[in-house]
Amino acid sequence: MKIGLNEIRFTNQRNQSAGDPAPEGVDTLIENIGAQLGAIEEVIDVGSKYQGILVIRVVSCVDHPNADRLHLCTVDDGGKAAGVERDDKGYVQVVCGAPNVHEGMLAVWLPPGSVVPSTVGKDPFVLEARKLRGVVSNGMLASPKELAIGDSHEGILEVDKDVAPGTSFAKAYGLDGEVIIDIENKMFTHRPDCFGSLGVARELEGIQHRAYKSPSWYTLSPEFPKTEAEPLSLQIRNELPELVPRFTAITMRDVEVKESPVWLQIFLSQMGMRPINNIVDYTNYFMLVTGQPLHAYDYDKVRAQDTNADHATIVIRNPKQDEKLLLLNGKEVVPRSEAIMIATRDKLIGIGGVMGGGDTEVDENTKNIIIECATFDMYSIRRTSMTHGLFTDAVTRFNKGQSPLQNLAVLAAIVDEIRTFAGGKVASTLIDDNHLPAAVLERGSIHEPVTISAKFINARLGLSLSADEVAQLLENVEFIVQRQGDELTITAPFWRTDIEIKEDIVEEVGRLYGYDKLPLELPRRTIAPATKNATLELKQSVRTYLAKAGANEVLTYSFVHGDLLRKVGQNPDEAFQVGNALSPDLQYYRLSIIPSLLDKVHMNIKAGYDTFALFELGKAHHKTLLSTSKDVNDGDLPIELERLSFVFAANSKAAKAYSGAAYYEARKYLTGLLAELGMADSVTFEPLQRDQYVGGTQAMIPYYTPGRSAAVLFGDTVLGEIGEFTTAVHKNLKLPEFCAGFELDVGLLALHEGASRPYAAVSRFPKVTQDITFRVPADLAYQKLYSFVTGELDKMDLKRARFTVFPLDIYQRQDDHAHKQVTLRLEIASYERTLTDTEVSELLHAVANSAQDKLKAVRV
Amino acid sequence: MNYQNPTVQEAADVLRARFDTLEHKADILKAVELKALYTQIPHMPAEERSGFGKEVNQLRDELQQLIDTSTSQADALPPIDVTAPFDINAPVAMRPRLLSSEAGNVHPLMSELAQVLDIFYRMGFNAVESREIDDDYHMFGALNFPEGHPARDDYDTFMTVEADKNGKPLIAPAHTSTMQNRVLRQYAANLKKGEPIAVLLPGRVFRNEDLDARHEHTFYQFEGVYVDKGIHAGNLLATFKRFLSEYYQQDIEIKSQPFYFPFTEPSFELALSCPFCKKQGCHICSGTGWIELLGMGMIHPNVLREGGIDPEIYTGFAWGCGLERLVMMKYGIEDIRHFESGKLDFLRQFV
Repeated sequence: MKIGLNEIRFTNQRNQSAGDPAPEGVDTLIENIGAQLGAIEEVIDVGSKYQGILVIRVVSCVDHPNADRLHLCTVDDGGKAAGVERDDKGYVQVVCGAPNVHEGMLAVWLPPGSVVPSTVGKDPFVLEARKLRGVVSNGMLASPKELAIGDSHEGILEVDKDVAPGTSFAKAYGLDGEVIIDIENKMFTHRPDCFGSLGVARELEGIQHRAYKSPSWYTLSPEFPKTEAEPLSLQIRNELPELVPRFTAITMRDVEVKESPVWLQIFLSQMGMRPINNIVDYTNYFMLVTGQPLHAYDYDKVRAQDTNADHATIVIRNPKQDEKLLLLNGKEVVPRSEAIMIATRDKLIGIGGVMGGGDTEVDENTKNIIIECATFDMYSIRRTSMTHGLFTDAVTRFNKGQSPLQNLAVLAAIVDEIRTFAGGKVASTLIDDNHLPAAVLERGSIHEPVTISAKFINARLGLSLSADEVAQLLENVEFIVQRQGDELTITAPFWRTDIEIKEDIVEEVGRLYGYDKLPLELPRRTIAPATKNATLELKQSVRTYLAKAGANEVLTYSFVHGDLLRKVGQNPDEAFQVGNALSPDLQYYRLSIIPSLLDKVHMNIKAGYDTFALFELGKAHHKTLLSTSKDVNDGDLPIELERLSFVFAANSKAAKAYSGAAYYEARKYLTGLLAELGMADSVTFEPLQRDQYVGGTQAMIPYYTPGRSAAVLFGDTVLGEIGEFTTAVHKNLKLPEFCAGFELDVGLLALHEGASRPYAAVSRFPKVTQDITFRVPADLAYQKLYSFVTGELDKMDLKRARFTVFPLDIYQRQDDHAHKQVTLRLEIASYERTLTDTEVSELLHAVANSAQDKLKAVRV
Repeated sequence: MNYQNPTVQEAADVLRARFDTLEHKADILKAVELKALYTQIPHMPAEERSGFGKEVNQLRDELQQLIDTSTSQADALPPIDVTAPFDINAPVAMRPRLLSSEAGNVHPLMSELAQVLDIFYRMGFNAVESREIDDDYHMFGALNFPEGHPARDDYDTFMTVEADKNGKPLIAPAHTSTMQNRVLRQYAANLKKGEPIAVLLPGRVFRNEDLDARHEHTFYQFEGVYVDKGIHAGNLLATFKRFLSEYYQQDIEIKSQPFYFPFTEPSFELALSCPFCKKQGCHICSGTGWIELLGMGMIHPNVLREGGIDPEIYTGFAWGCGLERLVMMKYGIEDIRHFESGKLDFLRQFV
């Protein structure tokens, strides 16, 4: 929302509403606005654009001797411009090509040395005295476009104010020192009144603790002149009273449609609107002042829409099937079926509150008009605007919910303006199709009064304002406050739609008083400790461990392209689909995290990284996995599968440093992590079966190679999967040959963390170390042999001793692929005495015998 | 899979049966039955054409997948003993081993979040991570956004094709405030014990925007929620000022601006004095000495009520602060897109 400071200054003064809004200077005002009204997007110094630019009188105007279209003018600048060549009467010679230049007119002169205002801040064009077709022109006479006050470039601006030649142009039109302040619209989402300069002017006083008094034309019950010309009858039929609670209109005859006065053109341009003609411009002007959009129709065109009509009819209704409308912007639309349409008996002529139709617009031939001042449902306006991509100034205001209690005042004001300055005569009585609740009309305020105590307000702001101080702050912005001791009964003025509950008053008081004056006190509380979130803590441990182990934590998007899912063999139909993403890369929620990591492997190898490990803690979702929780908050919502995903990759050169399958590299990280989490002793690996997976469905993990992947088990619970990837996945994602990964359920890790942190007392006696090598069938799982050996040792009742078994070697002879040899090392120490080698040998001998029986493992 | 169109279904049955008998599996794509389906497409009535064409393409994809699966089975490496700690015949020096810890790192956003979390733990806050998929109720309804409210426009939310139990699309949360209602309910017992509800809500949030160096569609926020008797707006400003001072290890000044959020009243935008130049003006604060950081406010009574808390007795505050800004300012990171790029060039700078 833009405001012009001079504009507010002048209207405050003219209406005796308030004094100067910035008595301590613009900078202080801007600071106050920031602190108490809303963020400032931009401050535009308009005044400085017009330095040195003067209003002049064209004293003589003759044809240029050497050019058909140019004129040779002498202009009177009252001798104000310095350093220009003058004739003996003191006049200055200027060449002008405008068709409308004529003797005696007041125009705007850009003298040599001045900058064309429309080029200020872009690519400044500095004027000079130079010859045009052999004749010197000292600067130029300016068009509205060059003055940055309109689009018109066909002719020069004719000054319509009676000022002396030599007056500065800025001064003549109140642009001297003018500053435009653009306040962020977002702050005003709930403040429709602040989409008018009147509303902002009132706030400027309120936040500076001064009283504002709205102009009487706005606050007093307006009176409309009696019909003063041959009547122009208008019938209104409102079929949508719920969506259009108020529709007011009046007709006027014999208006003179012409260019707007210069001050109005300037005002509209400053506010970012395009001057069209005086009637349209007045509607826009009153919208910019009050926030209430208006619309003017050509009465005769409206009537002509209906066959054989002797009067105009306006019907407010929904569109019929396939009904079309040509809009003012030249585009044709088929309006959404629930749009609020303005129609005649036979045809659509506008989308209510959004944009008028092209067939009934006011143009230079218009004589008779209808002025509409209506209230439209903000939600309906918003939906229509979104559906058709129509974002007009009217929409910006209507979709904040303009107060329906200001229509008559605004309509009366524009009628008065048109009567005075465009010669229009009122040709109908006021039409007020009004469906507002009687109580609202009666109390003249949108919501019921709010009763509140100063105590309630102070408790929420940390202040100690008296009831009087509260009342004063509110009365400054024209609230009506009734006091009974500490209790205040507060009636919001008719333009305020946002004051409904006590907290609305708290906000209003805090803001007007100044949030910067709130006491900065920390809350007081008990010393009961806050509980840490176990899952978050676990994630942090995982991060710390894996980073220490040389892995890099990656964050990837929660959404992926369907192609990625297909490349790893997942079925996009199982994933939640994002329906409105701007980018096709964000089509689906992830079914697992690992594909996102695999997607980052090739690019990092290409970037020159030979060996690396990536991990991510993320969330996966599956369409069929919905929470069965009875919790009102989460019942039926998708389950969030919290995952730790890890991938190890090495290019072919770096892979030479590793012997064997990449699987074991991933497993190294996994067992290290599980040891860190105190779970390693309870975890086993089993070849991945198709029915083993954690959470979700097996179709979620189609990318592991059978025979080179495993389920990670904690007891009987599947924690996740680990493995190498299928050749199709390798091919599709350009993975290096040496690549493997795992994905675990974070919730299960958090649940079982610290399950086994084995500790045994330290023995005073030396430990004995002996190795044992078995030759076993090649297909005997290592885990089986290992468990067997430790199981046998456990059975031997070694309670008074402490032992560990770990692998030294797994070996296969070139000439015997039917067997492999596993060497285990036993370290054992007694708590009671020094063990002898012989004793330990006997132990292992017993184990070996048993292994031979049960596992066909031969000691070698 | 089943095809709606009987012609396509018939061809699918024939081709699937033939696939098993083929020596060169890729030949299935050259089958005349498949070609015949494609030649039919242009002659279909317009209204059937797209559906038919789509199914023919699906069939082709299905066959391609069959080929991929069978070739990958053929190319597959031999099985290994997945229960072993290392491979057969692996010399000690070439066995699995961890990379150097000099190569590893925690993601800078996550290490920063850990620091933030640590400060709030010390200030007595619990922590609950926010969801990545949620419903309209938690995104808007529970937060006092009426149906069709224009404030909904300010959040360019990603929505799913699938609907929730109320028939509304599911939503990728555009702010961590989606968790407010949950924690108000979850920690309601605190209030009965005379303890505040004090929760930090970190999490991933999403806005459907085009990307550039300063805009990401995916980013992190940490929301704070604090409810107790007698909590006022000054408490909110003081709490965040104290957090910032602790975070930057220096006395930080704050400046509040009124703002509008449907779920807080009053609402503020908060700026902090630039910790990098001590308010002297630098490139980080664009020479102003101040950095606009986040939105906050007193929790709207409707939000408290919706969370089962009586706003006449209890009041509270909430904020939602972006994490990326903090990290970008701290390290001078020039492009927000680096965070989710997975580039080691970026990540390994934080070793």
